[in-house]
Amino acid sequence: MSNKVIENLYYTKSDEWLKVEDSIGTIGITDYAQDQLGDIVYLEKIEKGKKLKQDETLTTIESVKAVSDIKTPVTGEVTEVNIKVIEDASIINKEPYIGGWMAKIKIENKDELKNLMSAQEYSEYRKE
Amino acid sequence: MRYIPNTEEQKKEMLKEIGVSTFEDLIESIPQNLQLKDKLNIPEAISESELEDKIFHIAKKNADFNSMKPLIGAGSYRHFIPEAVKFLLQREEFWTCYTPYQPELSQGTLQSIFEYQSYISRLTKMEVIIPSIYDGASATAEAALMSLRLTHKNKIIVSNLLHPHYRETVKTYLAPHETEIIDLPYKNGLVDMEKLKILIEEDAASIIIQSPNFFGGIENMAKISEIVHSKNILLINVIVESMSLGILKAPGDTGADIVAGNAQSFGMDLNYGGPYNAYLGTRKQYIRQLPGRIVGETVDIDGKRVFVMTLRAREQDIRREKATSNICTNHNLNVLAANIFLSLMGTEGLYQISLLNAKSAHYLENLLLKSGKFEKVFNYPFYHEFLLKSKEDISTVNKKLLENNFIPPLKICEFYQAGNLKNVLLFAVTETLSRDHLNNTAKILSE
Amino acid sequence: MKLIFEKSVKGREGYSLPQDLFDDIKIEECLPEYAISKDKKILSEVSEVDVVRHFTKLSKLNYGLDDGFYPLGSCTMKYNPKINEKLASLSNFIYAHPFAPENTVQGCLEIAYDLNKLLCEITGMDEYTMAPAAGAHGELTGILIMRKYFVDRGDIRHKMLIPDSAHGTNPASAAMGGFQVVEVKSNEKGTVNLKELAELMDEDTVGLMLTNPNTVGLFDEGIEEIEKIVHHKGGLLYYDGANLNASLGIIRPGDAGFDIVHLNLHKTFSTPHGGGGPGAGVIGVKKDLIPYLPTPNVAFNSHQNKYYLSDAGEKSIGMVRAFWANFSVLVKTYAWILSMGPDGLYNASKTSIINANYLLTKLKKYYKPAYDRYCGHECTVTGKEYKKYGVKTLDIAKRIMDYGMHPPTIYFPHFEPYAEETIMVEPTESESKETLDKFIDIMIKISDEAKTNPELLTTAPHITPIRRTNDALAVKRVILTYDDELKLKDELNYTNENIEF
Repeated sequence: MSNKVIENLYYTKSDEWLKVEDSIGTIGITDYAQDQLGDIVYLEKIEKGKKLKQDETLTTIESVKAVSDIKTPVTGEVTEVNIKVIEDASIINKEPYIGGWMAKIKIENKDELKNLMSAQEYSEYRKE
Repeated sequence: MRYIPNTEEQKKEMLKEIGVSTFEDLIESIPQNLQLKDKLNIPEAISESELEDKIFHIAKKNADFNSMKPLIGAGSYRHFIPEAVKFLLQREEFWTCYTPYQPELSQGTLQSIFEYQSYISRLTKMEVIIPSIYDGASATAEAALMSLRLTHKNKIIVSNLLHPHYRETVKTYLAPHETEIIDLPYKNGLVDMEKLKILIEEDAASIIIQSPNFFGGIENMAKISEIVHSKNILLINVIVESMSLGILKAPGDTGADIVAGNAQSFGMDLNYGGPYNAYLGTRKQYIRQLPGRIVGETVDIDGKRVFVMTLRAREQDIRREKATSNICTNHNLNVLAANIFLSLMGTEGLYQISLLNAKSAHYLENLLLKSGKFEKVFNYPFYHEFLLKSKEDISTVNKKLLENNFIPPLKICEFYQAGNLKNVLLFAVTETLSRDHLNNTAKILSE
Repeated sequence: MKLIFEKSVKGREGYSLPQDLFDDIKIEECLPEYAISKDKKILSEVSEVDVVRHFTKLSKLNYGLDDGFYPLGSCTMKYNPKINEKLASLSNFIYAHPFAPENTVQGCLEIAYDLNKLLCEITGMDEYTMAPAAGAHGELTGILIMRKYFVDRGDIRHKMLIPDSAHGTNPASAAMGGFQVVEVKSNEKGTVNLKELAELMDEDTVGLMLTNPNTVGLFDEGIEEIEKIVHHKGGLLYYDGANLNASLGIIRPGDAGFDIVHLNLHKTFSTPHGGGGPGAGVIGVKKDLIPYLPTPNVAFNSHQNKYYLSDAGEKSIGMVRAFWANFSVLVKTYAWILSMGPDGLYNASKTSIINANYLLTKLKKYYKPAYDRYCGHECTVTGKEYKKYGVKTLDIAKRIMDYGMHPPTIYFPHFEPYAEETIMVEPTESESKETLDKFIDIMIKISDEAKTNPELLTTAPHITPIRRTNDALAVKRVILTYDDELKLKDELNYTNENIEF
């Protein structure tokens, strides 16, 4: 079972991570999530400029045997999309925290970060 | 009971191993008052020979169809099926296996589906083929739903000459989706092009056109496509008689975005209406909106070329309520029949049979017109089905044909009420009717 | 193995043509230029001998029910009697055109009419439609009936309740029927959580779709309470007949208050699966819902002593397919019921339940049951315990193949925390104690191998025609036709060993 967790990121119960730099948040899925999904084959196109509320579906990810919605950890507008993972979604399996990021979002309300977990909390949450 | 191997003695032994004294202990979670007290009120079991007698007897209440030739099609066509098709189909490895979830034990089924996808792709010139939807009508309905998902619009234009059962099925499937269905009228046996130009509006998701249409008429699909694609609308080309693909232009070459085709003519018996099979075809860009199973090529860990069910994340067992369709069990054995049929026909065989169908149909039309008992309803190009107005009452005509061992043509007034379609018959001719049969038909109807 | 295209030789033929090809008719004079294809469509060119050998060889790469044990849970892989195939292929049936005059198809109609009555008695319903082509098609038909029923009463409802243990077809069908799916959680006994059901069932809900025994193979003992909850709020109760094989002559869904029932004739009623159909998913309803059944349906005119296809009338949901039924599947079903009789049907369910519980008893020491209680006609155990050896349920399934049997259903149903890494075994009544004992021996042996030599499992299967497949590559490359392969020929670079086996 693979379950690497990176410090200083925020985590959701649905296994997304959020990296916060000023008012920009970068979104991806955790090592645990990619392991559960197995061979990831497809990430649905993400619309730049799209406004989403916390927990709304950002995109959908497909592996050979499963499909799952990726939810945005915070409210905001999508400012950047990682074209590389749209073209080759298997990157998410290989580098969930680095090359596997999916989108950047302009964080509207930093209060929402309180609803998210810390690395330690997430690690505890996904402990078998 | 010969289908249940375990003896009463064995069952007792097994109950003991389970640790209960009676079978009833195992079903104690079923509320007592719901458990049946009496046995089912159905006839007592009969032996295999009694069963045979009984069904033979019932079958005799049908006409002796073995010695009859159909002059009717209308969505179900009697073509000759080489014996090798039926013989191979009955191999238990094909006949008794399940959906190929375990590729290691199902390469036979999987490779066959892949080959069939390849054949249909070449016949229709569509990049991607879904090999098995239940039948042409449900495939057309699935195509309609697919067009709604692709365009996020809620209006569909449907040709009046789409098979009436297909039209009804589309209506049923669309009922929960608040979709407007616009009826596209015909003129002179084909789609009314002027009306088409008027009806085409940007807010339509798709337009459904059957060719050859229900009257047998061959639509000018390239021209229709030009009009349809002047607006941002998907063209769904329905093919009810796939045998026509042997000589007619492929839908992919005349602008179709989605093809829904009834494959019954490829090795499937009439079977009083089913099971048949249908395929869907489209471009690769629409792949994730396709319903149903599809097979793809990959390799196994030894590097062998192998086949697997693929792009599975669209399907109900993975995506549940967000799936592109609910279809699970389909008509896979019919896919195999069609694959074997097309393999036997090959390039030349399919071309020749397809050609023969068109030629012999035109031969019969000509004979019937010459007899003076019939006249044309429309002056339109047709494939192997055509409309003729009879001077004699069509019930009398059909009675005569039935008495002479022909399954009579369809009375078109059963589906179309237009004044000029009164006393009109829809004839179908396939290669199963020889020149003698056709001459005889004309002779019977001339008397 | 080579594709049929790779066996093609220019000029070879597998067809025979009539002598008279109507050469006197010129096609160019019959059809306009826009209609005729300029080129012939290139298929393959092989002889009849080639075709027979090709498909015979392909068949040998398959494993069928007649080869041996095929315990796919929830699929009811029971023996397909041979006489039924012969009867369904009588020339008077197979050459019957669906639009043939009614008086020429009285035999076909009699079978359908009679079967309708038999199914009503077996399930306690009032009327069936033969239209649906498969289980999921039946579900959609049933859901459209529910929808129309409420719309006609001016009672517009939006939600459909479905247990988390349901087949994927249930939520997918409900969505196709325009309903919002609301999931009902299972309780610690594996059955519907009644408290949650009572909270969720409201007047915006059309009803509940229930499989009973459910997909874990357990009879829902709360069935009477469920019926009350759903009907109390004016909802309808839908019975997914996927698991009816545990109920024949024991309990009838109609008596338990179900309003709509679909039956998979290719499961419970022994018609062959054919590698994924054709089957039939007939729908039975209670009296109030009869007017909503699809059109046409088979009926009997007692004055004229004649069967006919009747127009279902204004309330009907309409047509769900062309023509009216998968007729040849109906013949096989009819033949099976007549061969079984009331005692045979009861015996089938009784034996299938004993078989499943016997397996559960013998396996549970080695594979932890999802729920430790008596099961219906199938049992669900898990491979969870073997994870610590690096072995997944998938590996266990693949290893079964090495012992010459088809693996059970795996990873379904899946709902935490009970049903994970599931192995669902459905033996059916067709299997003897000897076969079950052999399967048990294999499973015990595999459990031992998992601990001592896990690699044997993770690399399995070893002796099947092919080994484990690269499913991710299939999605990435998207080779769906021979022409797709030809375009990538250089990249693929197959050697003879890759395609000849």
